[in-house]
Amino acid sequence: MVSKVLVANRGEIACRILRACREAGLDSVAIYADNDAKSLFVELADQAILLQGDSIATTYLNQEQILEIATTTGADAIHPGFGFLSERADFARAVTQAGLQWIGPSPSAIERMGDKMTARKTMRNAGVPVIPGEEIEEEDEQEALIAIQQASTRVGYPLLLKASSGGGGKGMRAVERPEDLVEAAQSARREALAAFGDGRVYLERMLTGSKHVEIQVLADRHGRTIHLGERECSVQRRHQKVFEEAPCATMSEDIRSAMGKAAVAAAMAVNYEGAGTVEFLLAPSGEFFFLEMNTRIQVEHPVTELVTGVDIVREQLRIAAGEPMSCGELHLRGHAIEVRLYAEDASNNFLPAIGPLAVFQPPEGPGIRLDTGVRQGDEVTPNYDPMLAKLIVWAPSRVEALQRMRRALDEFVVLGTTTNLRFLRELCDVPDVIEGVTDTTMIDRLWPDGWSASIPVEIEDGALMAAAVSESSGLHHQIHSNAQVNDQSGPMSPFMTLNRRYP
Amino acid sequence: MHHQFRTAQGEIEVTVAKQGEVWHLGEHQATVGSDGRLLLQLANGVKGYATTAKVGDVWWVHFEGHTFCLERVEPGASQTGDEGGLVAPMPGKVLDVLVEIGQTVEAGQTLMVLEAMKMEHRILASTPGQITGIHFSAGEQVQQGSVLLEMLEED
Repeated sequence: MVSKVLVANRGEIACRILRACREAGLDSVAIYADNDAKSLFVELADQAILLQGDSIATTYLNQEQILEIATTTGADAIHPGFGFLSERADFARAVTQAGLQWIGPSPSAIERMGDKMTARKTMRNAGVPVIPGEEIEEEDEQEALIAIQQASTRVGYPLLLKASSGGGGKGMRAVERPEDLVEAAQSARREALAAFGDGRVYLERMLTGSKHVEIQVLADRHGRTIHLGERECSVQRRHQKVFEEAPCATMSEDIRSAMGKAAVAAAMAVNYEGAGTVEFLLAPSGEFFFLEMNTRIQVEHPVTELVTGVDIVREQLRIAAGEPMSCGELHLRGHAIEVRLYAEDASNNFLPAIGPLAVFQPPEGPGIRLDTGVRQGDEVTPNYDPMLAKLIVWAPSRVEALQRMRRALDEFVVLGTTTNLRFLRELCDVPDVIEGVTDTTMIDRLWPDGWSASIPVEIEDGALMAAAVSESSGLHHQIHSNAQVNDQSGPMSPFMTLNRRYP
Repeated sequence: MHHQFRTAQGEIEVTVAKQGEVWHLGEHQATVGSDGRLLLQLANGVKGYATTAKVGDVWWVHFEGHTFCLERVEPGASQTGDEGGLVAPMPGKVLDVLVEIGQTVEAGQTLMVLEAMKMEHRILASTPGQITGIHFSAGEQVQQGSVLLEMLEED
């Protein structure tokens, strides 16, 4: 039984979950740090509780405080969203031990998929193809380095070193030549140890020209484990996905069926419950290999929702309440594309940007969905992830979906903070994207020296004229944003960016 | 009216002129809509709405799917108080408006009086011309950089 859900997250995904709770007739509790007091997700909850503390570690990652709030507010379930505590087995265990329902898979499933070496072994045993490679069990630095060197001759070059506790590219090194191996292994181990407290790394053969294709799975307690088809997320920048679609443009029925079966087998191998995603690399030959399983809702889940008609978050809530999932036989319908709108300066090496959202006007019309945690007047701060919104379109065909995405991106107006809108728009015109033959190295290949917008000179003239006429007409008196009034740091530089990283 | 903007590529000077309701920049035309957006009609036939917003000294412009930031170089910044442009050189309050729309003014004529930092500050016409717009009345607060009046300079 689930009747009151605490959402242990913030921003866009907190909004998504809180709205699903509202639709399902469940009470909801938001938790928020002081600097999120005016954020949209706080408004969408029935109850919102301020987290004490002034850092992510003392607020959104503070397990004791979150559990205490769950208890005092009478919440009986916790939805972790993605990021933050969503893949922390110890938190899932603490939630369960406190007598609350964890909306996600069991702690042991999180652990077995979270440790990449354990996951590879589990998958091999379940008959799921893994990328050719070898796990290195040796803990001692010298022994591990010797084992890595020996394994490298069997795996072959180029190869990837990956941290067993890793994710998001940390503790990962591409090695092209044998003479670079030792140094790369040492630095990967060092980085992994610093980031995860675990220096173990494993080797994988580097599969160039592969697509990143992932399968959404759902599993309930009534013995049903299904897959909801694939998403293609090959367009990535430094392992950060920017353009995601369903279905994959080059997918055949045979490969989809085989990959779907492998994903279901992967989920069943760890007694999976709830929503999860099994990521694969799909080689040009049609061979595919298990990459990892994300034991949580994913950023790009909406594209699957649009082509299957399944509300994945509602199903998560149902499954956690012990009910059977509601979806019947699935048919893929049409094509969906998602792009991630980031506050970043795409023309300046994608550095994160900050500033007020003086104007935030998303596109409208048929086939358009916007998942966001911000609205006009909000301030983009360096405190959290720079993702402002996910723009998702659906259309009967892939060609029409791309046309719709172009139209939607052209209509999208964000003023006051630099975003990657134009970069996303130009992506839609890249021949590889149009043909659907993207792979994970596309962005680096297309723009090896960085991206910059190509702007027709007349459009630039028009913009200059617009600024001059606006100034002459005193138009700035008509625009009132909270952010502008609150801006006490003096004139805002349009090129203000800053360096930061997130866990 | 003459404006200077700083962009990533350098400084650019723009002079726009108003005839009736229509602004001109060479062959390009613009009109300001009641919703604050601008309808631009470019010399090459491109026609579209521009959305603009000012944050600090920066004009943000969205036009034809492109977003621009143009930092306005304040004309008042390097001038002395006596020469004051038609923008407020500092935040303050309007004490008096001494002209009307359509009025012809001489160079050096006082157009408006501001009170800022407990001091009176006179906004003077730098050239002869005709007043085409008045954006504030006595008693109103103004922000630094606010356009107070518009004037069509005599050639």
